[in-house]
Amino acid sequence: MRLKDISTPVPKKDHKDKVSGQLPYISDVKVDNMVYGVLYRSPIAYGKIKSIYVPTLPEGYDVVGAEDIPGPNYVKIIKQDQPIFANEWVNYIGEPILMLVGKDLNTLYGLRDKVKVEFEEHQPIYTLDEAIDQISSASFVSYEFGKGLDIISAIEQDAHQIVEEEYTTGYQEHVYLEPQGMLAVYKDDEIVVHGSMQALYYIKNALLSALACGDDEVRVVQSPTGGGFGGKEEFPSMMACHVAIAANAVKKSVMLVFDRHEDMVVTTKRHPAKFKYRTALDKEGNILSMCVDVFLDGGANEGLSSVVLQRSLLNSAGVYNIPHFHAKGHVLKTNTVPNGAFRGFGAPQSFAGIESHMGHLSKYAQLDPLEYKRKYLVKQGDPTITKGNFRDPILMEEMIEDLLDASDYNKKKEEFQRFNQQNLRYKKGIGTSVFLHGCGFTGSGERDHIKATVKLVKSKDGKVLLKISNSDMGQGIYTTLSKIVAKELDLPLEQVSYPDPDTKEVPDSGPTVASRTTMIVGKLLERAAKKLKAEWKSGEEQEVFEHYVHREMIPWDEKTFTGDAYPAYSWGVNFVEVEVDTLTGIVKLEKVYGNYEVGKAIDDRIMKGQIDGGLAQGLAYGYLEKMTTKQGKIQQKSISDYGPPTSLDVVPIESKLFDNPYADGPSGAKGAGELTLIGGAPAVQSAIEDALQTSFQQIPVTAEVIMESLERKLVNRVD
Amino acid sequence: MPEKITAYRFDYLDETLSQLNKEDCAIVAGGTDVMVLHKSGRGVPPKIPKPVVFIDHLSELKRVYQKDKDLHIGSCSTYGELLENPLIPIALKNAIKTIAAPAIRNRGTLGGNICNASPAGDTLPLLYVYNAKLLLRSVNGDRVVAISDFIQAPRRIGRNHNEILAEIILPSVLEEGSHVVFEKIGNRNADAIAKVSFAGYIRISNERIDDIRFAFGAVGPTMVRSIDIEKKLLGKPFPLSETDIDSIVADFDQIIRPIDDQRSTAVYRKTVALNLLRYFLNTSQYQPN
Amino acid sequence: METDAPPTARLLDLIREEFGLIGTKEGCGEGECGACSIFVNNSLQNSCLIPIGAIAGAEIQTIEGLMETEQFKILDESYSECGGVQCGYCIPGMVMASAALLSENPNPTDAEIREGISGNLCRCTGYNMIVDAVELAAKKGEVVCQKK
Ligand SMILES: Cc1cc2nc3c(=O)[nH]c(=O)nc-3n(C[C@H](O)[C@H](O)[C@H](O)COP(=O)(O)OP(=O)(O)OC[C@H]3O[C@@H](n4cnc5c(N)ncnc54)[C@H](O)[C@@H]3O)c2cc1C
Ligand code: FES
Ligand code: FES
Repeated sequence: MRLKDISTPVPKKDHKDKVSGQLPYISDVKVDNMVYGVLYRSPIAYGKIKSIYVPTLPEGYDVVGAEDIPGPNYVKIIKQDQPIFANEWVNYIGEPILMLVGKDLNTLYGLRDKVKVEFEEHQPIYTLDEAIDQISSASFVSYEFGKGLDIISAIEQDAHQIVEEEYTTGYQEHVYLEPQGMLAVYKDDEIVVHGSMQALYYIKNALLSALACGDDEVRVVQSPTGGGFGGKEEFPSMMACHVAIAANAVKKSVMLVFDRHEDMVVTTKRHPAKFKYRTALDKEGNILSMCVDVFLDGGANEGLSSVVLQRSLLNSAGVYNIPHFHAKGHVLKTNTVPNGAFRGFGAPQSFAGIESHMGHLSKYAQLDPLEYKRKYLVKQGDPTITKGNFRDPILMEEMIEDLLDASDYNKKKEEFQRFNQQNLRYKKGIGTSVFLHGCGFTGSGERDHIKATVKLVKSKDGKVLLKISNSDMGQGIYTTLSKIVAKELDLPLEQVSYPDPDTKEVPDSGPTVASRTTMIVGKLLERAAKKLKAEWKSGEEQEVFEHYVHREMIPWDEKTFTGDAYPAYSWGVNFVEVEVDTLTGIVKLEKVYGNYEVGKAIDDRIMKGQIDGGLAQGLAYGYLEKMTTKQGKIQQKSISDYGPPTSLDVVPIESKLFDNPYADGPSGAKGAGELTLIGGAPAVQSAIEDALQTSFQQIPVTAEVIMESLERKLVNRVD
Repeated sequence: MPEKITAYRFDYLDETLSQLNKEDCAIVAGGTDVMVLHKSGRGVPPKIPKPVVFIDHLSELKRVYQKDKDLHIGSCSTYGELLENPLIPIALKNAIKTIAAPAIRNRGTLGGNICNASPAGDTLPLLYVYNAKLLLRSVNGDRVVAISDFIQAPRRIGRNHNEILAEIILPSVLEEGSHVVFEKIGNRNADAIAKVSFAGYIRISNERIDDIRFAFGAVGPTMVRSIDIEKKLLGKPFPLSETDIDSIVADFDQIIRPIDDQRSTAVYRKTVALNLLRYFLNTSQYQPN
Repeated sequence: METDAPPTARLLDLIREEFGLIGTKEGCGEGECGACSIFVNNSLQNSCLIPIGAIAGAEIQTIEGLMETEQFKILDESYSECGGVQCGYCIPGMVMASAALLSENPNPTDAEIREGISGNLCRCTGYNMIVDAVELAAKKGEVVCQKK
């Protein structure tokens, strides 16, 4: 198939094997001499290990723990604060202490029940609020930037009024349908780790450190990955260390696959967050200044939290040009399961917060929330909150206008008002969100840390292979990246292929995160293809490499938090209509609209998949999915108790793409994977607010939250 | 090492009953509760502490038939089968449709829902307001008990270990003239366990309440039903006065005592339970169904 | 087929471990995701909840069996044309549920399709493109409605 317009959909490259179920995910794999591993995990939230008792093990069964780690006992990521096997302190319920390995799972479960660990228990910090109270000792990292507080103070002095709001967001669990799994294949001269993953080289680097071995003694191969959403960014590194250390110790291949309950309670989640807004308004409700404090619950160790906080802060003013903006943020330690990457990476929390706050501020100006938000929309050429620049065209006005039209917004508002007056039980509302997503790593991450390299290999018969370290976890990059290369080389798509990445074969093109794959890796591939085309020699094997080049921008300075945080932004607008049952607080989605600008979609159908899937997660984050801890324990251990949407909870989504090709993206493409999640929660919150004529200071706006607010209203009316 | 597991699967009910008479067994009908309750981890069989006896294939336990005005439902009828059966009242079908999703409904049985005795069992509120009776069968013969006497606490039922729940009897359910509603509140629209549920039953004649019954699920250890409160309304003119409604709601306010758990809060459960009750009492137009 | 596995063994494990058929997936092991959906005597069920002793003599069909049918071919095409597949982990179960639905109801409405797949969790697609695929499959074939 020859490609004309790159956006025209093509059949996905991995379709056949997936639809028939014959594609082997890691749990489908069996190798010779393979044993299973099960982890013994800390039952307490914080304490010192006093002694460990392991029952006598039958022949062929072994215990693996901290003593078996050839290298230092931490999972290499940013800080050295995450033990592979805790052997002194435990910091959360579920922290791995040791692993039992052997042939039969039933036997292993039985043995694990007999392991006993004695602890000296210490007082844990269970909640974000407790941590905020002890901020000086509980803070992992903090950043502060923006207008000087003295200037803001002066403005506040003269302001008509100051509006202060606190806003909280909850956990979100990925619930990738394939639970985490990792297999270390033991060979005499190397250990090959296969598994479900997003970041091959994170894992490889973690293994090099843990095994203290040479570069050619470990290898990481991505297995088909049944969903990631960020949950398989940094977490798999720990599992990879577990299986590789065990394989190294017992000289057998070791498989570790999580049961759903285990996956729900011990893997990373979206950081719960708290926001404090302090906004000065004039008489007409215009914003004079705004201060935002962000607090993220990091869980028991730092992991990627500092980077998540950066993105949270960078999005703390939303898509708005706010005069005199100041922001400050902390990641705090609690003795709960560590939090980490999740589609949007700190941005969904910030957008939920700022969209909510702007919506509430609109009341002071007596304007419709959307109208109020539009007054502050950033425009091309405006500065960012970090003194960077929005240098590319911004189509937001057009996208909003289009949705106002498509949804018949004004008419609907009136219609709903009438409906709500007449119907005592059900209330309808419409809400909106406007948002963006910075594509690629924050700041100078791409240039200084990732330094991506891609490789194309051409065979004698003119077939081209993509050699990169990026994972297709369902988002479709096997297809989209192959399309980019095929288009540039003017080859039929069938002649371009993208084998499962293997660190022995592929250079480090970076992890599959941060909406960077299409835009950044895709662009490198496009350039590589261009080079290959120029050098093309029929009948010969050829290889070309390309390395990352940084776009000319205002240099990013992490210390002062200034400069261009991202090379480019993708944009979106969501409208959501709901009906709320005031007897039960149940929210029914009625209509969902999305307009997006992602430069140029590489495949319209794949893009639609990103929109529908991302938005379903985003909407659910706003009202449906709820996870809580009690004394450090995750309460919702099953999928049903947590409640991700089923087919009966989602409605058709009317979406549209706006072309705005980006010069530094392949065929003009920018990032798209995370953007689609971001607008869901704030739009659904504002729709519920519109239906009930009230305001909420949190997501998820569950039925419980709604009933509490309705009861409060009732009491107030009676008083 | 794998322990020896004893399991029985007889062709006929009487063999099953005589085995149960010899030995205390774990009865498995559809297994949708048993398999989850005893789940022991990925890749291994559940750990069921007793010998197992499978019963869901027994055709004697799958019959649905009418006897006088009463409806008899075989305990091992699956939800899927009941949904297809014209004898099953619409309200019960509507409740069944809120249970899990098609694949579970193809296995889960009505008898299992009762014997599992979960406060969130979705057929239970209706079975309570239908005054369902349970026919328990053993080698010694049959005995019939009221569902409200049978279910004692979460996962505790008044079954002797040699008995099987054979039939669920819905007395006079095939009579005309009553109006029955069921509302289930879960966290989402499929595969959700009830946070609150409510069943209401009303029969009116000559503008007066002839019969009225309510049951609430997931707001206490078993279904909450009060014959005393119901009695207060008998003979009252319909539609009910605001005062009557307030007083009934206040009565239930006294006896509904839910808990906080991973699915919801006590406050929410109570508020919603009372809201649903009030709404039912306020409804002035009833369609018999 | 015969087996030495204990009667309480999960049908899912039998299919995967003993028969080596990998199309039936485990996503939760407790009936909540549908990844393990199979047919028992033509009825859609979750194999993770079935103790094998309960179904002695029953006819089991997995995705590997469905694959041989005309119905599968149509579903396969429709899923592809509608972009219903992302990570793929839910898909064999989803296809089983789709097939079960279409066999019962050859011309389902949008609501009936959503109901039919409501026990099959998909975290990637947001379902709409899967619903479209089932609708398209229904259109594509009278063939599809032929009772298995
Ligand atoms: C994913 C999922 C979702 C679910 N959703 C719902 C829901 O929405 N609403 C709801 O109410 N339930 C739900 N359930 C629970 C379950 O499906 C129902 O309770 C079902 O009716 C149980 O029937 P079963 O035949 O599978 O019971 P089993 O598991 O076979 O048995 C349950 C109990 O009853 C006993 N028992 C069964 N039959 C008899 C008998 N004839 N005589 C004596 N004892 C007997 C068993 O020994 C056992 O203790 C759900 C379960 C799952 C796995
Ligand atoms: S694995 Fe059986 S339903 Fe999830
Ligand atoms: S395609 Fe990934 S879960 Fe459905």
